[in-house]
Amino acid sequence: MYGDLGNKLVQHAKRTQNLTHLPPYQTELVRNVAHEVRDLDKYTKSILEQLGDSFDPNTDQATACTLTVSHLAMRRNKRCLLAYHRTRTDKLEELVWSGSDIADLAGQQQQRAAPGGAGANVSGMNGDGASSSLSPQEEDYMRQYSDLLAAYKGQWTDIDLTGSLEPPRDLFIDVRVLKDAGEIQTEYGAINLTKNSQFYVRQGDVERLIAQGYLQKLS
Amino acid sequence: MDIDDILHEVDPVADTVPRETRDLQALTRAWVAERSAPELLKWPADGLFERINDRIKSQIEKVEEMTGDMDPKTNFALIVIQTELERYRYLVRSYLRARIAKIDKHTLHYLSTDALRSRLSEVELAYATRHQALLHNHYLSSFLASFPPQMQNLNDVSGSHNMIDSPDLDSAVFVRLLRDTMVESRGVDVDGALEGKDGSILILRWSDAKPLVEKGHAELV
Repeated sequence: MYGDLGNKLVQHAKRTQNLTHLPPYQTELVRNVAHEVRDLDKYTKSILEQLGDSFDPNTDQATACTLTVSHLAMRRNKRCLLAYHRTRTDKLEELVWSGSDIADLAGQQQQRAAPGGAGANVSGMNGDGASSSLSPQEEDYMRQYSDLLAAYKGQWTDIDLTGSLEPPRDLFIDVRVLKDAGEIQTEYGAINLTKNSQFYVRQGDVERLIAQGYLQKLS
Repeated sequence: MDIDDILHEVDPVADTVPRETRDLQALTRAWVAERSAPELLKWPADGLFERINDRIKSQIEKVEEMTGDMDPKTNFALIVIQTELERYRYLVRSYLRARIAKIDKHTLHYLSTDALRSRLSEVELAYATRHQALLHNHYLSSFLASFPPQMQNLNDVSGSHNMIDSPDLDSAVFVRLLRDTMVESRGVDVDGALEGKDGSILILRWSDAKPLVEKGHAELV
C-alpha cells in the first residue's frame, strides 16, 4: 500500500520526540520510501506518455483518479521524509546547543552498548556505521551546524549564548563534584575538582562543567 | 526597579533618566515582548545592542581590575557588579535564544520576503540563510537527490500544500494598555470592540494586538 512506509517513518519520528537519545537512523526505510516515490513518478510518466495530449480528465475518470492518487502519495512520502529528518536534525541541534559533539555521542552509544556484550568490539570505531545511530549525512550536518553555531556565538563572546537559560539568582552556588574534572582557574585562584568534594563557587565559572555532568548543583 | 517604571517609559519625556537605565528598560521590554509574541519582532535598530555589548565589556574589565584588590569594601562592590552583570547577560542571552528559536522554526517564512527579512539582524540573517542551506543540503544528500527533479524544492507554494510553514498569528497574547484607546478584535462569530483604559490588561489575538503594540498604545506582558 502506498504511504505505509512513510507512515512508519513518521511513527519513528514521533517516538524520537520523546526519547532522550537518538535511535538508529532508518537507512533502509528511507531508501524504500524514496524508491516508492521514484516508482510512482515513473508510473505516472508512463501513463501520461501513453495518453499523449488526448487526455481529458472528465471522460477518463479512472486514469485521472490514478494520477491524483499517485501524485498525492508522492507528496505525502516527501512530507514524511522531511518530517523524519527534521525531527532528527532538531534533536541534533539541541545536542549541539547543549555542548556535545559527535565524539561525545559515539561515546554514549558505546556505554549503552557495552553492558549487552554486543558493543565489546565497537571501541575505536567512533562515528562508524556500526556504532553510530547517525547516518553519515547527519554527522556531516552536525559538524557543520556546530561550526555555524560557533560562528554565531563568536558575535556574542561576552554573553555565552549557550549558557543557562534559568534566570540567575545567586552569584555563588554550592556544587558537588561527580567526576574528577581536574583543576580549573577562577578569579579566586585555582580549584582542584576531585570526586565527591564540595565547593562554593561562582556559577559562571562552572556552568559548562555542570552541563557536561561533571558537577552537580546543590540547592 | 519596578515593572511599572519600565512600562511607563514609552513617552520620550524620559530625558531625565540616564541612557544606561533607558537601555536596560528597552532591553527588558524587548525581551518580554519577544518571549510572548508568537512571531519574530523587529530587531532594535538604534544600536541598542552595540551599546549593551560595550557596557558589558567595560563591566567585565572593571571586574577584572577589581579582583586584584583584597579590600573587603571593594569585594562587596565586586559581588554587586558581578551579580548585575550576570543578570544583564541572562537578559541578552534569553532574548537572543528566543529569537533564534523562532527563526529556526520558521526559517523559510522569515527569509521569504524582504519585509520579513528586515526584522532579522545581519548576524541572524547570515545564520538563518546558512542554516537553511545546511538543512537543504542535508535533505538533498539524504533522500531528495533521488527524487524526480520537480519535487526537489523545499518551498513549493503551488498545489495542495504550502510548504512554507508560518507562525500562528492568531494565537493569544496578554497586553497591557499604556493609554486609553479603542480596542477592536475579531471573534469567531462576532467582532468585539471596547474602550480600553490605561493600565488594563487584556487577552487578545496577536493579529489584533499587533497594531496597538506597534503604535505604542499597548505592551506585551
